[in-house]
Amino acid sequence: MIPRPIKRLFHQVSLGDQDYRFMFEAGPPDEVVALDCETTGLDIRHDRIVTIAAIKIRGDRILTSERFEVVVRPEARMSVDSIRVHRLREMDVAAGARIQKIIPEFLHFIGGRPLVGYYLEFDVRMLDKEVLPLIQIELPNPMIEVSKLYYERKYGDAPPGTTVDLSFASILRDLDLPVLEQHDAFNDALMAAMMYVRLRDMKQRGVRIPREGQSVRPQATIG
Amino acid sequence: MPNSFDPQNPPFDRLTPQEMEALRQALDIGYFRPGQTILGQQAAADSLFIVIKGAVEERDADELIALLGPKDSFDSHALVQGQSRHAFVAREETLCYLLPRDVALNLIKANPRFGAFFYLDLSRKLDAMARDEEDSRIGTLMRARIADMPLSPAAFIDAADTIETAGHTMSQIDSNALFVRDGDRVGIVTGMNLSKATVLQRKPIDTPIGTICHYDVISLRPDDFVYSALILMTKTNKRRIAIHDGTHYVGILDDIGLLGFLAGNAQLVAGRIERAAGLSDLTVAAREIGEQVRILRRQGLKVEVIAEIISDLNRRLFAKLFDMVAPPEIRGAACLAVMGSEGRGEQTLRTDQDNALILAHPVEAAILDRFRADFTTALEGFGFEPCPGNVMVRNPIWSQTVDEYGTMFRRWVALPEPETHMDVAILYDAVAVAGNAQLLADVKAGLVEAVRGRSAFMVHFARATEAFPMPIGFFNNLLTPDGKGDAVDLKKGGIFPIVHGIRSMALERGLAETNTAQRIQRIVEAGTFSRDFGRDLTQALYLLMTFRLDAQLAAAGAATALVRPDMLSSTQRDVLREALGVVKQLRDIVRRHFNLGAF
Repeated sequence: MIPRPIKRLFHQVSLGDQDYRFMFEAGPPDEVVALDCETTGLDIRHDRIVTIAAIKIRGDRILTSERFEVVVRPEARMSVDSIRVHRLREMDVAAGARIQKIIPEFLHFIGGRPLVGYYLEFDVRMLDKEVLPLIQIELPNPMIEVSKLYYERKYGDAPPGTTVDLSFASILRDLDLPVLEQHDAFNDALMAAMMYVRLRDMKQRGVRIPREGQSVRPQATIG
Repeated sequence: MPNSFDPQNPPFDRLTPQEMEALRQALDIGYFRPGQTILGQQAAADSLFIVIKGAVEERDADELIALLGPKDSFDSHALVQGQSRHAFVAREETLCYLLPRDVALNLIKANPRFGAFFYLDLSRKLDAMARDEEDSRIGTLMRARIADMPLSPAAFIDAADTIETAGHTMSQIDSNALFVRDGDRVGIVTGMNLSKATVLQRKPIDTPIGTICHYDVISLRPDDFVYSALILMTKTNKRRIAIHDGTHYVGILDDIGLLGFLAGNAQLVAGRIERAAGLSDLTVAAREIGEQVRILRRQGLKVEVIAEIISDLNRRLFAKLFDMVAPPEIRGAACLAVMGSEGRGEQTLRTDQDNALILAHPVEAAILDRFRADFTTALEGFGFEPCPGNVMVRNPIWSQTVDEYGTMFRRWVALPEPETHMDVAILYDAVAVAGNAQLLADVKAGLVEAVRGRSAFMVHFARATEAFPMPIGFFNNLLTPDGKGDAVDLKKGGIFPIVHGIRSMALERGLAETNTAQRIQRIVEAGTFSRDFGRDLTQALYLLMTFRLDAQLAAAGAATALVRPDMLSSTQRDVLREALGVVKQLRDIVRRHFNLGAF
């Protein structure tokens, strides 16, 4: 796979629609966008986006009052399994807009701002699938992975062999953040946003997250 | 649109669904690092802050005023007046909802019930809260269960027993109804059944009860709701319901008991005291006084009104007791006084009793001792807790002649000891309840005279206002790992500083009033306090007394003054914070007035 920074240079040239040149310009200073997508599944090739939520963060302020939140109208029928996960039925998404109409609005919303999320790579690749046919580029935005920020704060100095837990629930617990109902794109994006402001502050102040009782806890045997 | 914003958190629960939606649409979320000033002192705020997670210190310059936790909001002053009174600083990592000022002001304007919580003066805020409480109290009444009510005892007689036996049994157990056992059947016989049988039907008094009682007994369980008893009585036109716990009959509920439970019967207690023929009658009345507090509070009476009613009943009780046990030598030449909170008319649930006897002239030791013993025994029989400081008639220093009291005061003022100040405080709050009231007036005039101009004494006296630290830890229910929150002693932290600070200023002026609100009124009239501050101070006192009383009632009558912040709504914590802010202002005034800092 080609590294993103190189892709970015390439895309700057390949950009199909010059109206989107702003995507390559740095966004307003100290602004990022927390992002989450709900999808029909985890297969990037075959699954598709159901909802997109993005929330701007300016400094330490999470601008929930200026959010981007859309439901995508599906091109094909939805599987029962995916309906179970995100609880959006066909009738709920029927009122949504087609993805081709949503992507331009989304791109204008995020601009060149860095994107923040939990396992963001997946969301971005899902979005790239829709962006590429439209303007012949993948998202050029810098990406900030909250689980990575968390890893640095908690396990950055851990001795080899430490069991690493980067689960969403553990991060919420360690950062003492409110647990919102999950599998709702807006809530997931909001929780990622709160993780980000908190972790960024801890990094600036040089505060680490203690690892519980550094001793090895007995693990349940498998099998 | 944070849909996680809790619409039930007062005062936001007063918003309509549309208003709540508008609020949610406008919310942002702010993150604040430890030590970061969220809102500076005397700063304008562009938002109302509602804490999601974390803890926020409210500070007046260097002084910590309060700690705010989740669901607490700030600062209505900055929002409405454009200037905060205090600074707000994050104590730990803190997340807050930020509600833009213009949106908040629009909601305040559009919804008066919501807006009431942003009034700037405590009094109006409290009125708004009281209206809410009323609704919840009716709710409480509707949820009361039969087990919470006083029941007539479940006494059984046999169907073969006579009318005469039934009459005697009723009289002995002071109940107007008995269960009648007839094999497997159970019936109820009432005093009215006995009367009808003997008077109207002229049956002989050796008639078996089984022939005149009713077997169509209706029953409920102790865990049934009180209102279901009311409905059942209405439907069946019965005046009594048998209470059965599944295995046994545990009591009988009658219509008078039910109405008394719903409405209270303070006037009946007063009558009972008046008519009391002996100590046993007074003992019943004394117990009933205690029960009135709960009933009156449930009816929604304000704490100051309850205190007034209860003080009146207690004083009648003392007066009647004095009449009963005082021999003529004492009755004609003495004054019985109640002191402390009872003297100020601020006692609700009985905590302790401070009382004293003032004699016009020396009384023979044997007579006096006998009276003191009788009086003390009677009070113990009433279930009165003895005063921990032994400030009671039974203590010789609290039953002396006017002259002896005078000598004692001069010694107190010249050579004060720590407890001396408390003794002066207790006596200064005294009110005569029986005997010659002029004697107490003379003693108190002597006390005022003894301390007049003794500024060193007054400084030490007033210093007790600062004896206990401000309960600032109150609002932080986060810092306790067990999640229970810190219980806070409202008596030490709020009620006592007001009572004693005002008492100090009143004593200095030699005011005759004993009630704290009346003393405040006089101090306002003298121009020392502004009218507004006097009103806020009185409201703060009543608010603290109310919270304390409710905590005591919830703790089943324990003398606790501890209030758990996690038991309060965020609005209650908010007004409590303001009340404690008023207490702090008074402490500052007292400190300056008596120049406490200089000693």
